[in-house]
Amino acid sequence: MGELIGTWIGALLTLCIFSFLYRDNPFFRFAESLFAGVSLGYYVGIVAVNTLAPNLFQPLFGNFGENWDLLIPLLLGINLYTRFIPSIAWLARLSLAAYIAYYVGINMVQKLQGEVVPQIGSTILHPIGGSLTPVDNLIMIVGVLSVLIYFYFSIEHKAAVGVVSRVGIWFLMLGFGAAFGYTVMARVSLLIGRMNYLFIDTVRVTSQHLS
Amino acid sequence: MKLERLARIDRRIVYLLIGIGTVLPILFPIGFPVSTTPPVERLFEKIESLGPDDVVLVSFDYGPTTAPENSPMAEAVLRHCLSRRIKVIAIALFPIGGVTMAGEVMSAVTAEYPELRDGEDYVLLGYKDGAQAAMKQIGIDIASVFPTSMDGRTAGEIPLMRSVRNYDDIALVCSFATNIIGEWWANLINAQFGTPIAVGTTAVSAPKYYAFLDSGQMLGLLGGLKGASEYEQLLLDAYPDLRARYARTGVYTAMKGMDAQTVDHAIIMLFILIGNGIHFLTRRQRQSEESG
Repeated sequence: MGELIGTWIGALLTLCIFSFLYRDNPFFRFAESLFAGVSLGYYVGIVAVNTLAPNLFQPLFGNFGENWDLLIPLLLGINLYTRFIPSIAWLARLSLAAYIAYYVGINMVQKLQGEVVPQIGSTILHPIGGSLTPVDNLIMIVGVLSVLIYFYFSIEHKAAVGVVSRVGIWFLMLGFGAAFGYTVMARVSLLIGRMNYLFIDTVRVTSQHLS
Repeated sequence: MKLERLARIDRRIVYLLIGIGTVLPILFPIGFPVSTTPPVERLFEKIESLGPDDVVLVSFDYGPTTAPENSPMAEAVLRHCLSRRIKVIAIALFPIGGVTMAGEVMSAVTAEYPELRDGEDYVLLGYKDGAQAAMKQIGIDIASVFPTSMDGRTAGEIPLMRSVRNYDDIALVCSFATNIIGEWWANLINAQFGTPIAVGTTAVSAPKYYAFLDSGQMLGLLGGLKGASEYEQLLLDAYPDLRARYARTGVYTAMKGMDAQTVDHAIIMLFILIGNGIHFLTRRQRQSEESG
């Protein structure tokens, strides 16, 4: 019975969301608010059960002697909430600074080592050889250079520079077109998923419980 | 003017046609042929080269909002791994529903292989917050990130986890991702640990992943529902026993979804052609009226 009720709640909420296609209405706004609230509640619960409990509380209270160092992240975390007490709100900045420093450190190396260097490397191509075909290489070289010229604003885009930057615009447009095509495919996929839920899953679960 | 009236067609008529174009192929599958592409074939071949001694880390980096795209690809890859008796460690790094999706897909697919045992052949370790930090720490010691499995067993109690310490013991990472987490596997984990990475991503994100594919930071890419359907096709060609499972009525698969996708794309293209045709015709009419 639980499956039947759950499936029908899902189906009705899906219809509430789809009702926006006709026009904005209270059913749509109810489903939208419910989704936002449930998502937040889910997130809090999942972090507590899957991260805080096994990675912090259980080791800390289970074997304090070996895991006392976990007190540091625990205190840094609690310290974040001092921002709600105006007189000591500045303390929260210490935790935030530690958090930001960690992720800046990770990101700097990640971006340079994992993106900038390999992406430049993969763009330095031999015009008529390499892993891609000569035509691909040529398109890649012309595309990268012309788009870079388009975004180079220290020279007025006139004469030869204007022509190259125009080519850059064409490459950008092709890129946007491909991205838009993929976006359409993504949105249609989500529609297919919902329609499948309404017309296949809901019907199947309902007929199973009725028979 | 009739043409201008056609140009101002109520958008709800377009929605209705797209709705019909989606529902009819779901109720009456057409079975359009699926052609495969190298980024998908490379992932398939990589998994074909692995065996029972290898471990694949499957990361569920998506939530229910993109499940129609990501779940079929995750199921197909998981089915492929388990058919080859490759060991699978599943984790989730996407906060809103990642672990729920992991649980759903894992329980659905592993139920098809009753001879395989939870903890020995596969395990679901659960969700961890702070994806980048978790991913990086797995490179040092996976048990420190996931001290327990989803159902509360400690790493020491899980036979599969005794032979896996970090990325050195993992043959391949497959991330099924809806946002930037898939990128991190390529630009953080592949760059720093050299682990082979494959990403199954939503179609919206797919274009940017081609850069990582071309640079060799990813060995395979499944782009949206099309990528998932390609993988299903390769799987069915190589493992005909799975055909009955994929053909079952009421089971959502990417190949079935691509029927509706194809019909909808045809409708959208038709409207684009009609819209552009009307635009140019009315412009010409206006110009001739102004000059006349």
